Amino acid sequence: MDLGSESAKDGKVAEAVIVGRRRPFISSKVLIDSVVRLSPVRLLSNPVMLIVELTFFIVAAMAAYPQAFVPVASVGERLYYVEIAIILLITVWFSTLSDSLAEQQAKNTASSLRKLESEVPSKKVIREGWTKTVTQTSSKDLRKGDLILLEKGDMVPLDSEVLEGIAMVDESLLTGESAPVKKAPGDALIGGSRVVSDTLTSRVTANPGETFVDQMIKMVESSKRPKTPNEQAVTIVLIGLTAIFTIIVASLLGLSITLNLGADLSVLIALYVCLLPTTIGALLPAIGLSGISRLYARRIVAKSGKAIETAGDADVILLDKTGTITVGNRRAIEFVPLQGHTVREVGEAAFLSSWHDDTPEGRSIINLAYDQGFVPRELNSLALSEVEEFSASTRTSGVRITRGVGFVPSKGNKSGEGRMRFSRKFASGSEENGFGELDITKGAPDSARELLAEVPSDYEVIVNGIASVGETPMALVRNGEAIGIIRLKDVMKEGIKEKIQAVKTLGIRPVMITGDQPLTAKSIAAEVGIDEFVPRARPEDKFEIVKKEQALGRIVAMIGDGTNDAPALAVADVGLAMNSGTEAAKEAANMVDLESNPAKIIDVVMLGKQLLMTRGAVTAFSIANDVAKYFAIMPVLFATTIPQLQAMNILGLGLSTAVLSALIFNAIIIPLLIPLAMRGVAFKPADTMTIFLRNVLIYGIGGVIVPFIGIKLIDVLISVL
Amino acid sequence: MIDIPQLVSIFLILGGTMAVAWLISPFLTKIFTRAPSRLDRLLNPVENTIYRLTGVDSSHGMGWKEYFLAGLLVNVVQMAIAFVILTFQGVLPLNPMGFSGLNWDLGVNTVISFATNTNLQHYNGETTLSYLSQMGAIQFLQFTSAATGICMGVAMVRGLVVGSKDMGNFYVDFVRSLTRLLIPFCFIAALILVWMGVPQTIGGYVPIKTVEGATGSVLVGPVASLVSIMQLGTNGGGYYGANSAHPFMNPSPQSDVLEICLMLLLPTALVFVFGELLGKKRESRPILLGAYLLFIIDLAIAFVPTLPVAEAAGIETRIGGFYSAFWTVVTTAVTTGSVNTSLAAMHPLTILSGFMGMLIQATPGGKGVGLAYMVMYIIITVFIVGLMSGRTPEYLGIKVNGRDMKIVLVAFLVHPMVILFPTILAYATGAAAAIGITSSSTGFTQILWEFTTAAANNGSDFLGSSANTVFFNISTAFVIFIGRYAPIGLMHALAGSVIGRKRSNAAGGLKTDSFVFSIILVGSILILVVLTFLPFLALGPILSFFQGRVNGFG
Repeated sequence: MDLGSESAKDGKVAEAVIVGRRRPFISSKVLIDSVVRLSPVRLLSNPVMLIVELTFFIVAAMAAYPQAFVPVASVGERLYYVEIAIILLITVWFSTLSDSLAEQQAKNTASSLRKLESEVPSKKVIREGWTKTVTQTSSKDLRKGDLILLEKGDMVPLDSEVLEGIAMVDESLLTGESAPVKKAPGDALIGGSRVVSDTLTSRVTANPGETFVDQMIKMVESSKRPKTPNEQAVTIVLIGLTAIFTIIVASLLGLSITLNLGADLSVLIALYVCLLPTTIGALLPAIGLSGISRLYARRIVAKSGKAIETAGDADVILLDKTGTITVGNRRAIEFVPLQGHTVREVGEAAFLSSWHDDTPEGRSIINLAYDQGFVPRELNSLALSEVEEFSASTRTSGVRITRGVGFVPSKGNKSGEGRMRFSRKFASGSEENGFGELDITKGAPDSARELLAEVPSDYEVIVNGIASVGETPMALVRNGEAIGIIRLKDVMKEGIKEKIQAVKTLGIRPVMITGDQPLTAKSIAAEVGIDEFVPRARPEDKFEIVKKEQALGRIVAMIGDGTNDAPALAVADVGLAMNSGTEAAKEAANMVDLESNPAKIIDVVMLGKQLLMTRGAVTAFSIANDVAKYFAIMPVLFATTIPQLQAMNILGLGLSTAVLSALIFNAIIIPLLIPLAMRGVAFKPADTMTIFLRNVLIYGIGGVIVPFIGIKLIDVLISVL
Repeated sequence: MIDIPQLVSIFLILGGTMAVAWLISPFLTKIFTRAPSRLDRLLNPVENTIYRLTGVDSSHGMGWKEYFLAGLLVNVVQMAIAFVILTFQGVLPLNPMGFSGLNWDLGVNTVISFATNTNLQHYNGETTLSYLSQMGAIQFLQFTSAATGICMGVAMVRGLVVGSKDMGNFYVDFVRSLTRLLIPFCFIAALILVWMGVPQTIGGYVPIKTVEGATGSVLVGPVASLVSIMQLGTNGGGYYGANSAHPFMNPSPQSDVLEICLMLLLPTALVFVFGELLGKKRESRPILLGAYLLFIIDLAIAFVPTLPVAEAAGIETRIGGFYSAFWTVVTTAVTTGSVNTSLAAMHPLTILSGFMGMLIQATPGGKGVGLAYMVMYIIITVFIVGLMSGRTPEYLGIKVNGRDMKIVLVAFLVHPMVILFPTILAYATGAAAAIGITSSSTGFTQILWEFTTAAANNGSDFLGSSANTVFFNISTAFVIFIGRYAPIGLMHALAGSVIGRKRSNAAGGLKTDSFVFSIILVGSILILVVLTFLPFLALGPILSFFQGRVNGFG
C-alpha cells in the first residue's frame, strides 16, 4: 500500500516506539499459545475451524478402529487415515497460530500501553467555598468530575481537562512526540503523560478503566474486541458456505451408501475440509486485528473497528485548509498601501497591531516590518496598549495605544459601541502630531470593511488581486480608516497535492473548509486540485455541511480539534480528532490522531479500504480455490466403482497422493497468507473499479489457478518422497 | 457443432426477442406503476368491477409479508379449486371422452405443479384430462401462476426502489397483469398459432385416414390458447403428453421459432422493467448481460457435441437436431419446461446444459422469479467479490449487511437441499427401482433431473407418466412448493427490509451497471453453481459423457 513515503516512514518509527524491539516472528510463547488454542472449547468462536477439528477426531477414530467404519472405511488404509488426520490437525493449528501471532502483536502494543495506566498516587482537590484542600488519593479511587492537582514531575493519573494553570506536559510515552507540549485551561490531558514544569489543576473526565488508554487496550486485545458489522457479515457468509458444503458432502455420503459407490469416508472428509472456507476462516480474526495495529502504527487510535471500516466507505472528506492543506502558518510577504498612504505607514501600523500577536502569522508580520526598517516610534507606548484578542466572530484583532500625554478619542472613530465607551473614559487632553490615540485593527478584509466609514476606491481591487493568486489579504484599519493591506502567503504542506490526487482517484470528493474569503480559497483549492471548497466558513458550519452531505446519502469523513467541531465530529461517519484538540472534540470523534496531523485523515481512509479489501481478497481466494480441489478429489472419491471419472483428473495426480496433496495445499496456504493478512493487500490509489478489477484478477482468477499449480507441485513432491 | 446459418438464426431469434422485449417494456412498466395508458378507458371499468366484487382496496399498499401471503393464499385457493375439478372430472361436464377423476396424489402433484408455474406432468393430457380439466384447471392455473410469478418479481423490485413505501398491492398487480398483459398477449399469440395450424376447438376426437389408408382418430381441443400461455407464461405444460413435439402443438419450424421467442419474451422484458421501475435503466444491464452470457455458455455446452440427427430416436424430423437442442437450452434457461423432443434423445452435454439452466434459474429464468434469483446472485457477488473494491459492499445504494446475507444465503441453500435430499431418498426408499430406474449414470440423470426440474419450477422431465407413483407425486409436489415459495418469500423479506433503509449515494462505489461487473457476476454464478452441484452432475450427465454415450444416451 502506497500511502506516501512520509507517513510510511513515520509509521515504522512509531511502531518501534510502541511495540518495542521487534521480537522473533514466532516465539515459543506464541507456539505454546497456539497449541493451547487447539482446545475445542477455545475454537467455539471459529465455527469453520471447529468443524475441521471435529473431522480430525473422526479420521483419528478411523485410524484407530477402521473396522467400526466399514463400509465407508477399509482396514487396510490405516496409515492413510493417520496421514489425513495429521494434516487435518495441522490445518487447525495453522489457524490458531495465526490468531496467536496477531494477538501477540497486539498484546505487545497493549502491554506497552498498560504501563501508562498503572495506578499512581494523585492529589485530589476538594473545594469548599473558598477553601481548597488537597488529599492524597490513589488514581483508582478518582472518579469523573473530581479535581486533581498536578505538580512538576507528577504523572497524570486519568484523562482530564485543564482548569487552571499553564504547564508543559510530556506525552512522549503515548504519542512518541519527544518535545513537551504546552497545556493551558481547556486543553485535554491524557492519563499516562507527565507534567514537566509548573502546576495545573484539572478535572478528571474519565473513570478508571474507561480512559483513553483503556479504550486503546480494549481495541487491540482481540478477545475483548467486538466483531465489526462487516466481520459479522463475513462470518455469516462463512457459515452459509459451510452449510452448503455440509449439504453437498452429506449428500455424497448418502448417495455413496445407497448406490454402493464405495466412497471412503476419509476422502469425503478430505473433500469437505478442502471445500470449507478454511483459509478465510483461519485468517479472519487476524485481518481485523492487524488493521487496528496498522492504524496504531500510524499513531491513530480508533475507538471502534467499525470506524475504520466506515472510513473505507467515505464519499466526502472535509479538509480544514489550515493544518491539512497548508502548514497552518501564513507568512507576510508585502505591505501594500492603499491610496493616500505610504508603505511605511502600513508597515508601522502592521508592526504595532502584531506586537501582541503570538501566532506565527503575527510574528512573520513583525519580521517583515523589521526587515524593511519599519519600526514605529510608538513602540515604547505599546506597554500601555489595550489588546483586542482575535475573535472568530469578528475575525479581527487589534491594538489600542494611548500616549502618556493625555488620551484623546480619535477623529472619526465609529468602530462600535464598546470602543466608544472605552474612548470616553479617556476623553480629555489634546491631539498632537495626528497622534493621540491609535486604534489599529487588522483582519479579514470583509470584516474590516464593516469598521470603515468609507471604503477606499482601490480597496476591492487590491484585496481581490491578492486573493485571486491564492494569497491572503489582511486589511489594516487605523482609527477607522483603511490604510493598507498585508499580503500573506499560505505555505502548502509537502506532498498534499499528491494525497489530494490520490483521494480523488479513489472516487472521494475532497471539500476544503476555510475561513478565507472566496477568491483566496478558490486559488488555494485550485493549487492542490480541490474542486469544492467552502469559504468564510465558521467552525459550526461544518455541522451543516456534514448533515447536508449525509442527507444526500454520502459517508462523510472529517477532522476537527476545537470544541466548535465537536457536534460535527459526533455526526460525521468518520471523525478524526487531533490529540492537541479539546476534550470535547476527542470525546465526539471516533478516532484520535496522537500526532495531531490532520492530513492523516487520508491515511485513515486508505487503511479502511485496505482492511475491507484484504478481507474480501482472502474470502474470494478461499472460495475460488475450491474449483481445483474438486478436480483433485472427485476422481479419487469413486475411483473403485466409477473409474471413468478419472477423466476429470486433468492434473494427472496420483491416485494415492491426490487427496493428500489437496489437503496439504489447503493447510499450507494458511501460513503462506498470514503475512498478507497482517500486512494487508497492497494497492495503489485508483478508481474503485480499477482496484476492484485488479484484485479480482489477482485473488479471484488467481485463486482459481494457483491451487491447480500448487496441488500439482505438492503431488509431484510427495510422489518423489 | 453448428454451422453459420444456425449461428445466424440463434442471433436473429435472441436479438429479435430482446428487441421486442425492450419495445414492450415501457408498456409493461405502466401496468405496475399504474401510469395512465390508452387501455384505461377500456379496462379500468373491468378492473374496478373486479376490485369491487372481490372487495379489494386498490389503493392499499402492502408490506412484504402481506403481499407474499396474499399471493400464497390466492395460489392455495386456486390449487384447491383445481384439485376438486381434477379429482371429480369424471362426474363434471365437458368430458366427452369420459375420463375418470385423478388419484389424490396425482391431483395434488398436478395442482401444485401448475399453480407454481412448474407444469411437471406425471400424466398424458390426451388420455387423462377432460376439457373442463384442461381449461378450468390447467389453463386457468397457467394464467394465474404466470401472473403470480410476474407480481412477485415486480413486488421485489418495488422494495428496492429508492423511497418506496410498500411493495404494492398483490390483488391489483395480479388483476392488471392478467387483463393487460397475459390475456391480450396470449390472444394475439393464439391467433398466430391457429394461423400456423394449431387447433383451437372443443370438438373431441376427429376421425382421420392415414396416407397408408388406415383409419383412426386423433384428439383435438383448445390447443392454441394453451400453447400460447404455456410458452408465454413459461409454464410448459402441454395439451398432449408429447408436449411441443406433438404436431398439433408445434406444427412447423416457424411455430417452433415463434414458441422459442414467446418463452424468452416475458423473462427478458421484465429485466428491462426492472431498470424502468428502479428509475435506473442501466441497472438492467448486469441482469440482462449476466443472463444472456450464461445463456450463451449454456448454448455453447449444448452445441459442443454433434447435433442429434433427425433419425435418432425421439427427435422430430419436422424440427431437426439443431432446433431440438436449442429448444432444450431455452426451455431450461427460462424454466418453461416445454419440450419439442424426447430429452432422452439428447447428448449428455446438452442435458448438462439443461441442468445448468435449471440450477442457475436466472438465464434469464422464469418471469419474475428469474429476476429475484439474479438479484440474489448479484447480492452474493457484490458481497464476496465487491469487498475487494475496498468499500462496504452495496447494491443499488443498499449497504449489504449481515442480515441481508443471511436471507440471501438461505435462499441459495433451498435449491441444493430440495434437489439432493429427495434424490437420495428416491434411491434409498426403492422408489426409483420401482419404476425401473437404475443407479447408472443415465438413471441417476433422470432422477436428478426430476427433482431439479421440480425445484426450479421447470417441469420438463424424463419420467413422464411413469413417475405417477405416490412417492414421486408427493415428493416432487413438496419440492416444487418449497422451490417456488421459499426463495420468493426470502427475497421479499430482503426487499421488504430495504424499504425505509438509508440509501447511500456514492459516486465512487462499485459500479454494478458496468460491463466488468457483469462478467464477474457470470464468473461467480458459475463458480457457485459448479461448487454446489459439480459432484452430482459428475455422477450423471458428465459420467455419461465420459462413458462415451452420445445421442439418445438414455
